[in-house]
Amino acid sequence: MANNDYEFVKSYRDQVLRCSSCGFCQAQCPVFGLTLRPALNARGKMLVLKEVMDGKIPLNEELTETLFQCTTCANCSTHCPSGVSVPEIIKAVRRDMVASNTCHPVFEGMNKVLAEHSNIYAEDEPEDFDREHNQKAENVFFVGCVGLYREDETTEATLDLLDHLKVDYTLIDEVCCTGVLEDVGFSINQERADHNIKAILATGAKRLITGCPYCYRTFMNKDQYKELRDKVEIVHISQFLAGFDFGVKTDKRVTYHDPCDLGRHTGIYEEPRTTIKKIADDFVELPHNRAEAICCGAGGGVRGAFPANSIAMAKRRLEEVEQVGAEILLTECNSCLHNLDNAKLRSQKFKIYTTPQFLMELLEEAD
Amino acid sequence: MEIQGYNEPEDLMYDENHFWVKEEGDLIVIGMDDFAQKMAGEVVYVQLPDDGKKVKAGKKFAKVESGKWLGKVFSPVDGVIDSVNEELENNPGLINSDCYGAGWMYKIKPDDKGALANMITGAAVVEKWVLAEIEKYKDQA
Repeated sequence: MANNDYEFVKSYRDQVLRCSSCGFCQAQCPVFGLTLRPALNARGKMLVLKEVMDGKIPLNEELTETLFQCTTCANCSTHCPSGVSVPEIIKAVRRDMVASNTCHPVFEGMNKVLAEHSNIYAEDEPEDFDREHNQKAENVFFVGCVGLYREDETTEATLDLLDHLKVDYTLIDEVCCTGVLEDVGFSINQERADHNIKAILATGAKRLITGCPYCYRTFMNKDQYKELRDKVEIVHISQFLAGFDFGVKTDKRVTYHDPCDLGRHTGIYEEPRTTIKKIADDFVELPHNRAEAICCGAGGGVRGAFPANSIAMAKRRLEEVEQVGAEILLTECNSCLHNLDNAKLRSQKFKIYTTPQFLMELLEEAD
Repeated sequence: MEIQGYNEPEDLMYDENHFWVKEEGDLIVIGMDDFAQKMAGEVVYVQLPDDGKKVKAGKKFAKVESGKWLGKVFSPVDGVIDSVNEELENNPGLINSDCYGAGWMYKIKPDDKGALANMITGAAVVEKWVLAEIEKYKDQA
């Protein structure tokens, strides 16, 4: 008996059926690349969903690993000749699984944490970076959870860079943008969104600079933040920095990892390269770059729910850094940085930074 | 000794973040205790500083992570890293399977072992401390 009760069937039935099982997605999928399990790539997931739509198998906890182990990196949909929007389908299926109480327990935990805490890690004491908060300023710098609680040294360097460039900015008492909840089958927390909007607008800032590509994507695309983008310009730090000259260079070989949330999801490929090419004459691309870039494995809640596989995916990405002989790997996402740094072996001698962090190191060395 | 399901050997010294310490000749060995590894869940990353790195008493020198938990490791003494457990690079789960043995983490050569006197030691003190910790974290266990 066909099962048409699920929301994903109502919204995406045609798309699921449009998958021709060609397998173009398989070559790009970071989860398949690691596990080599056909059920875990987009083609496999679509086949499973066809079975669900036909009523042959239920959408129950036996499918949790298949349907929740996806970084929503969008490499599959970018390369799908049939135009199947796999990440959107996966998110809709996850909503159905949440509604039928078959959500992955870690994702259920994320929703609970963000109902009770200001951040995804349930940490109580955010780093204040010895800087004023909630001041009147031309710009607000929005750090994001990873930058506040996991990569605070990177954030400190980014703020030092903004200070060096004499940027008029303030931090705010920010809370998680909660965009990740949509990825894992829940909804953006309106209360948290309203808190951020109110705090940002209270500064009178004309521009919001985000340190996190995921926050940027959430602010730019989600209905809950419409008021924010109607009233202030929103840019990612890589876009903001592309207009500056820094007066420093490195002679080291530098390469760049495109974060999925910045690249495939929001189309920002060139601004980071504009900055990097100003400071590195020996810049080389990774074999998979721009829209072809392989995910670091941290997205879509996978770092939280499947941490060992998440780090193993990052290890595969780092093999490409070795292939091109880079001494410096730059990225523009604290979450990518965190996962890649966790994955780096002691025998791998290259260093990993965000671009602002590396820039600040060059400036300090030049002083 | 076992305290409500947690194995906390009474011959080890502990810091308040649940890292154990024992003396081994001129060195001290550091690892994570059973309470911490159970609370953390599957450990997926252990930061392994280079040998020879200077550490200071009470200062963070490494991180440990599970999926969503981050632990900071603080040195109990001034000194230098003598060696690290390189097995943890590819198999951090050793901390879960054998936190007092194969899952040891760091060996430090202290300048002076005097600061070890500040650690939590002795069966009665350890038991009282762990019972208080169990109560403190009962909703997260």
